Amino acid sequence: MALTGSSVATDQTAEGSRKATIGKRVNEAGARRKAGSGGTIRGAELRTAALFIAPGFLLYAVFMLFPFIQSIYYSFTDWNGATVNMPFVGLANYIDMFKDPFLWSAGWHTVVWIVVGTSVPVAIGLLLALLLWSNTKFVVFFRTLYFIPFVIPVIVTGIVWGWIYHPLFGILNSMLEFVGLDSLTRGWLGDPNTALVAVIVAAIWGSFGFVTVVLFAGLQGVDRGIVEAAEVDGASWLQRSRYVIIPMIAPVLTLVTAITLIGGFAVVDYIIIMTQGGPGTASEVLGSYAYSKAFEQNSVGYGATLSILITVLSLVAAVAFLRFRERER
Amino acid sequence: MAQAAGRSASQTAVAPPGRARRAGGTILKYVILGFFALITIYPLILVVSTALKDPLRITVNPFQLFSSWHPQNIVDAWRIGQFGSFFFNTVKITVPVVVLVVALSVLAAYALARLNFPGKGLVFLLFTLGLMIPFTSVMIPLFYQLRDMGLLGSIWAVILPAVAGSAGFGIPLGVFLMRGFYLDLPNELAEAARVDGATEFQVFYRVMLPLSAPGVAVLSVLVFFQTWNTFLLPLLYLPGTENRPLATGLYQFAAGRTQDYGLIAAGALIMAVPVLVIFLIAQRQFVKGVTTGALKG
Repeated sequence: MALTGSSVATDQTAEGSRKATIGKRVNEAGARRKAGSGGTIRGAELRTAALFIAPGFLLYAVFMLFPFIQSIYYSFTDWNGATVNMPFVGLANYIDMFKDPFLWSAGWHTVVWIVVGTSVPVAIGLLLALLLWSNTKFVVFFRTLYFIPFVIPVIVTGIVWGWIYHPLFGILNSMLEFVGLDSLTRGWLGDPNTALVAVIVAAIWGSFGFVTVVLFAGLQGVDRGIVEAAEVDGASWLQRSRYVIIPMIAPVLTLVTAITLIGGFAVVDYIIIMTQGGPGTASEVLGSYAYSKAFEQNSVGYGATLSILITVLSLVAAVAFLRFRERER
Repeated sequence: MAQAAGRSASQTAVAPPGRARRAGGTILKYVILGFFALITIYPLILVVSTALKDPLRITVNPFQLFSSWHPQNIVDAWRIGQFGSFFFNTVKITVPVVVLVVALSVLAAYALARLNFPGKGLVFLLFTLGLMIPFTSVMIPLFYQLRDMGLLGSIWAVILPAVAGSAGFGIPLGVFLMRGFYLDLPNELAEAARVDGATEFQVFYRVMLPLSAPGVAVLSVLVFFQTWNTFLLPLLYLPGTENRPLATGLYQFAAGRTQDYGLIAAGALIMAVPVLVIFLIAQRQFVKGVTTGALKG
């Protein structure tokens, strides 16, 4: 979930930048000390380091790095998961991928997921964080409440939103009937036109609190004096937010957007829980398509190819984000 | 919070452009905050209300809020619905994951932060790569790997990948988070201990580890909640019923008995309440973990 990079969006928080400098100084001091010390000590240090790192790294390598490399290998095969041999097919899967209409539709749904599932929670989170920050009472209450959906298990979120969308008893249809929009009522997850968006809305419910809390933490570093000066100068709340506050939390905003966005490439769980990609393929995304290819249709090789596509896309997005942030600073 | 001082200053010092407009703005603000509070809370209330629904009255409208009082559902779900055994299986998976992630991460993170050795940068880079590889990228080969290791269906088929970070928080996050903590610790104490003849492990165990306790707390809370909630790992690698945890237990139960709203909701409650309680107790660690995880990125 966290993205990495050497330095820090915490320039925003006074505490963060202080820590960063201390950390850097300590690090340099440590490096100097080591450089000055003799060969035997260095050997002992290497041994200690190896002992400290080996257990964690081994587990990580066996259950993460190795399967990742295996994925790449699988993607060059036509394996069905059952035979002993894995027929090597070179780039055939990658070529097939471009001719696969299901891939294009799953890809399009992923784009919808990423665009809607990122912009909406970020917009809501930004609005709520700004409101909480502007002399609001019960800040802790609201912040706690908004964060709760983020810690609720996805399986619970999926089930309860399924009830909200229930064709007969769901509150969504009841409310539409109540305001006289009976014509819009439907089984939201069973209707190909609405299934994908309905799942995305459930996912937004699960994530906007995360965005709110992170942005609110970023706002703690904003100097209220500057904002008040703008207020004295007659800037409205919108103007203050747009021209004074948001630029000051831009790095955090970019970061939380990137985290939400990159998570969107690989989403599987909400889809499996709520629609299993259906009806038909109306809510199939890349992640769930890879899942069903590999585990339901025995196209292990092709499934692995799809998973590599997802990895490449999300890595490209991550790198693009890092570049963007470099330029921002 | 720090903004308390700023808050009162802004209320007294600034002459409002129009008192009425400001009051209107304040009302609008609370309306918006309240609206999202309602949206947040309705699904939660729906679970609680449905969990208390009398199965005899459920056919009328299962989702009418608090129309009956039937806590027996929770007992039934625990016993008949097997949620009791799902619950203990989840505990059996979550506890080892938290312990292993913390233990292995603090060791590796300490070495990466405070010791010098060739290849350090590369090792750290490999660990952080783990933060960027989505589960989708490893889930397929991992299935066959676990099968060949004879682990499919045992709790280790979930524990080991979870510790390795396949499904999100694991050693990669732990190393990343704890390394930050160890970089921030002052060097003097460690130096003093070294001068007194402490071995490198003693320096770590007696001096640095206690100092990093807040970081350990943050990491434990994050790993706990992610492991408790993890869905795809047990769905793929724990096919049998024997070791089924709450996430897939609830999934199978809800898929097989779609009409048993009361029991499904009771199961959902059994799964969600522990996370909620721990969240409310350890809220500071939670928020800190999520925000440093995000802000440090």
